[in-house]
This record gives sequence, C-alpha cells and structure tokens, in this order.
Amino acid sequence: MAIHKLEVLVENEPGVLARVAGLFARRTYNIDSLVVGPTENSKISKMIIEVSVEGHSLEQVIAQLDKLINVIRIEEVLEGAISNTKHDTQPDYQN
Amino acid sequence: MAHVPTANGTAMTGATSLVKSLEAAKVDVMFGIPGGAILPAYDPIYDSTIRHILVRHEQGAGHAATGYAQVTGRAGVCIATSGPGATNLVTPLADAAMDSVPLVAITGQVPSLAIGTDAFQEADIRGITMPFTKHNFLVTNPDEIPRVIAEAFHIATSGRPGPVLVDIAKDALQKQTSYDWPTSIDLAGYKPQTQPNQGAINDAAALIAQSAKPIFYVGGGVIKANAARELLELAQLLGAPVVTTLMARGAFPDSHPLHLGMPGMHGTVAAVTGLQKADLLITLGARFDDRVTGKLSTFAPNAKVIHADIDPAEIGKNRYADVAVIGDLRETIKALIPALTAALAKGRADISPWLASVNKLKATYPLGYDTPADGALSPQFVIERLGKICGPDTIFAAGVGQHQMWASQFISYEKPRTWLNSGGAGTMGYAVPAAMGAKVGAPDTTVWAIDGDGCFQMTNQELVTCALNNIPIKVAIINNESLGMVRQWQTLFYDSRYSNTSLESKRVPNFPMLAEAMGCVGLSCENPADVDATIEKAMSINDQPVVVDFRVHRDAMVWPMVAAGTSNDEIMIARATAPDWDSQEL
Repeated sequence: MAIHKLEVLVENEPGVLARVAGLFARRTYNIDSLVVGPTENSKISKMIIEVSVEGHSLEQVIAQLDKLINVIRIEEVLEGAISNTKHDTQPDYQN
Repeated sequence: MAHVPTANGTAMTGATSLVKSLEAAKVDVMFGIPGGAILPAYDPIYDSTIRHILVRHEQGAGHAATGYAQVTGRAGVCIATSGPGATNLVTPLADAAMDSVPLVAITGQVPSLAIGTDAFQEADIRGITMPFTKHNFLVTNPDEIPRVIAEAFHIATSGRPGPVLVDIAKDALQKQTSYDWPTSIDLAGYKPQTQPNQGAINDAAALIAQSAKPIFYVGGGVIKANAARELLELAQLLGAPVVTTLMARGAFPDSHPLHLGMPGMHGTVAAVTGLQKADLLITLGARFDDRVTGKLSTFAPNAKVIHADIDPAEIGKNRYADVAVIGDLRETIKALIPALTAALAKGRADISPWLASVNKLKATYPLGYDTPADGALSPQFVIERLGKICGPDTIFAAGVGQHQMWASQFISYEKPRTWLNSGGAGTMGYAVPAAMGAKVGAPDTTVWAIDGDGCFQMTNQELVTCALNNIPIKVAIINNESLGMVRQWQTLFYDSRYSNTSLESKRVPNFPMLAEAMGCVGLSCENPADVDATIEKAMSINDQPVVVDFRVHRDAMVWPMVAAGTSNDEIMIARATAPDWDSQEL
C-alpha cells in the first residue's frame, strides 16, 4: 500500500479541518497521519496529510481535495527530493 | 421590477444588508418559511422587490428552488429558519448536489453566543450539509453578509454548479452594520477552468477522426452549459450516433435520426448496446454513473474515452480517460468543431457500417409496452399521450420510480430545460415542488408534474402554495396503488413477495377530492378511451392548478432493464428475454 505525503495550504477558517477530514471519510480515503499548523501568513494554515492510497488513485484524492473551496494549493512531498511535485489535478499530458 | 442599488457604506441592520445583498445578486424570487432565528430577515423581506413565496414545508422550498434553477439556468433561492427548518432543507440540498443544480439556501441560526449550547431550535446545519454542498458558510459578523452572499452566488453558479448554504446567526441579522457589496470576488482556492486546453482539443479531434465506431455520450452538463445548439452542430459534423442520459434528456432532439435514446438501466437497446460496442466514447458532461455503466468493469470494453467536463475530479473517477478536456462544455464544443473539421479533412475512418448497425438495433428494438388484456389503463399510454398532446414546449417534472422512467422514455424531448427530474439522488417527492418552481421560472409555459401515487403523498402540500400564489401547474398522478419500481424489483428479484409496497387502494386517499381541498381542480381517469379528453380538459384550465388521477394497472413494468450490478451486455427487453444478438452484427 503506497503512502503519499501531501502538503496542503488551506484558508485559516473555522471548519476547514472538518471539511478535509469529512471528505476523506466519505470518499473512503485512509488518513495515515495529519498535522495542522500555522504559516507565516495568519490567513493560511498548512496541513501535512499522509494518505494511504488503496483502491483510489492519488490523482483522484487530490482532485477531490482541490474541490474544497478553502483548499488553496496541494503539493506532494517527495522524501529526499529537492522540490515537491505540484499537482494541478490535470492529467499528466496536459501539464 | 426595477432594482435600485443601495450605496455602499449605508448603515442598516444585518437583516437589511442580507436582503439588499440578495437584491444585488439579482434574485427575483425565493421560496421559504419564516421562524424564530430567521425572523429578523423577514422584516426587510416585507419591503423587498424580491417575491417571496411562502411554502408549506421547507423541503418544498428547496425543490422549488431547484425546479426554478433547472428551468432558468439561474440560481434558485430558498430560505428557512434554524433547527428543523434548516434540516428540512437537507434532502433538496443533497438532491441539488447530485444533479449539479445552482442553489443558494439561506438559514437562520441561533444567536452566536448560543451556538454550541444545544439551544432551542439549534442544529449544526453547516456541519450537516458539508458533504453535499459545494460550499457553505456560517456568518456571525454582520459586516461579512454582502461578501458571503456574493461569494455564495458566484460559487453556486460558476464551474460545476451546485448548492451553497449560508447560515446566519440571529444576532448578526439584528446588529447594525455598514452595507458593502463587493466589486469583485477573489477566492484563492476556487478558480474553475472554463477555457479548454487546445492541445487536448486537438488530441480529441484526432482520436474522433480515427474512430470507426464513435458515439456521443451526452450528460446533463450539456444542458448546464447551454451547449445544446453546439452539440447539434458537432454531432451533425461527425454524423455519429448520440445517447442522452437521464439528466440530458432534451440536450439533443429525440426526433433527430442520430439519436439512439437514453442509455443505462432502463435505456434503449440501441443506446445501451451502442455504448457497449463503440470504439470511442465522446463523453460530454457525463460522469459514468453506475446507472449508466452497469457493472463498470464490463462497460464499453473496447472503447477509448474522451472525457470533457468542467469538474477535474470527474476525470478518471470511474473510468480512465484517454483524452481529458477540462472546461466549460460550450467553449469545449465550440473549440472542437473547427479542430474536428480540420482533422476530418486530413482523413477519417468510415463510420457508415457502424451507423447502419446501431440504426438496425434502433429499428429492431424500439421502446414499447403491452396493453393490458382486461382493458385497464396502461401507465405508459397515459404518459405517451401527455407528451403527444402537450407538445415539445411543455416542461415535464417527474417524481422517482417507474413513472419517471416512462416519462423519460415515452415523451419526446426536443429542447433543453423541458425535462426535470431527480436523477442522482432519486428523491421521491421531487415532482410537485419542482414543477411549482419551474412554473414560477417560466410562467408562460405549461408545466406538468408526472408523479407516482407514492411520491405524490410525500410533498403534495405544495399544491396549496400553488393554488394561493397563482402558480397553475398540472399534475398527472400515475396511480397504480403501489410503490411501483420497488414492486417491480420484488417481482423480479424477491420472488413476487410484495413486502410493504402495496399502497392498498386507488380510492384512499381520494386524490381528486384532496386536490379540491387544496384549491385545485381534481380530475380522474381510468378508461383508455377518456385519456385524451381528460388531458385536453386539464390543458384548458389555466387559472388554477389541476390534478389528474390516472388510475392505471399495477403490474406494468419498465423495460428494457439492466439489473443492478450486472453488465450492460445482460440487457433484457422483457422478463427473461434478451435481444436476439445472433441476428445483429456489431
């Protein structure tokens, strides 16, 4: 089972954690770990989500997450890599 | 009614700011019921240019807003108080989310200091509706009201449309604020892509030109995007067959020779088999729903897929897309027409054998039904005559069940926004309030609700609203004294053990008397010879709602059928009867 680490920038508003957690629950995505913290911009929070993708594609998880209005940006964190992979939820060939 | 804009910076209560904001959002009508927490808003509503229609149940308000939105293309608006008022909107919001309907729901909430205390009529409606609203808001600061309302309408109507709920604490409505309607909207996390990628358009055009067995798989997105005219041009350019899903009926004229009908569980043999045997699905605003695909792993096994949709999350959700085109469908089809013209000019596959074989299926397996030997009224006949007599300008809103499928099958839809139903959620009780909202949105058009006797008993109270507010809809109750679709499944899959699907009587309730009690004209019909005259009588009454109780036989079944969870290859044209595949070449 592949575990992917996502760095998700979200608006710092009440209920955002519930929106993300609820989305993962209702679409049966498994959260392996979840950390929420502030950023230098007080209006934006950062979530680090480790998701185990089983029976779903990572692209689908990211695309659904991206539909949340309060989610600003999603990047996959690649361990050991210098830069992260930016996802804009388009199929690869369109990037 | 001319709307005089309110100057920014004007001092007023949060409630007045809400109503001024709704006016600024060009709302002309809303459906709702007042109550304690929303009461401050109802005072300025009293003076507003917005028409408020007082419904009899909040669920009626929600479905009416949906019917209005589906007919006009604009956002429907409903309003309710906190607690049970708000929770009664839950079903229409879920319904609107499944069918991508632009809806804005306003709910009152208990005062901000009481939130979280289990106060009287408190319900966490924002939490409850998170899974099936496109977005929702809880407002406790009155200064935020204009911005939130502007954002709510923007989110509901742009991109993939959907419902948005705005929950406002009572004290935010009561406090003084300064009205400030935003000049622009900038949501950091919401920028829908409307313009399709030209590279993807070119890839799609090349794939289409090479295909020997292409088929247009058309979904409700074509209607949402107002792209029916462009679709007609594209389909005629290629000359390939077209299927329209339950949500897309009317997106392509039923009378067009390229139209194979509706695919899916109760689709035509030609449409279902056309998808199965195609080598390319040109998917426009459809989402590979299980009712269309049947057993997903066996759906259209030899087809490549072009998937055009406004919602990137639909791409690859159920079926891999070889070419994905993300964008507004009207823009997409407009870009595809010249690209395909160029690709076809370079050379194209011969699709004439394919067209001949699907046309043979269409001719061999037309939709049909048996007339009962005992002379009883057949439901399909009633619905077919309704379509024929009322014509293609009429709007039909169906409930959910057998009558819905027959209304989709046996009425010829020629224009978009003339067929309304609850496709995704399958909400029994949708028809009467949706027809009410549709009639408000299109007052000069005849609007028929085609409802089952089971469905009708869930939401018929809105006929009172119709009667008292000059909303003369017409209702055809297909009264088979049964929960017909469930009964059909019991016949087929539960050994005819009719557990709790009999409604026992065609006389209780007495629907014509019930209609009269609610201020409508009540008619009934149980003889095939009287059907036309009864429909014509209903059509002649335009100053009152009319309810016609069509008492039909209860054993009629919806065919064709692909049983749930089975492959589309297992389509049955009647009980235990498959098409004669040996005589078909595909």
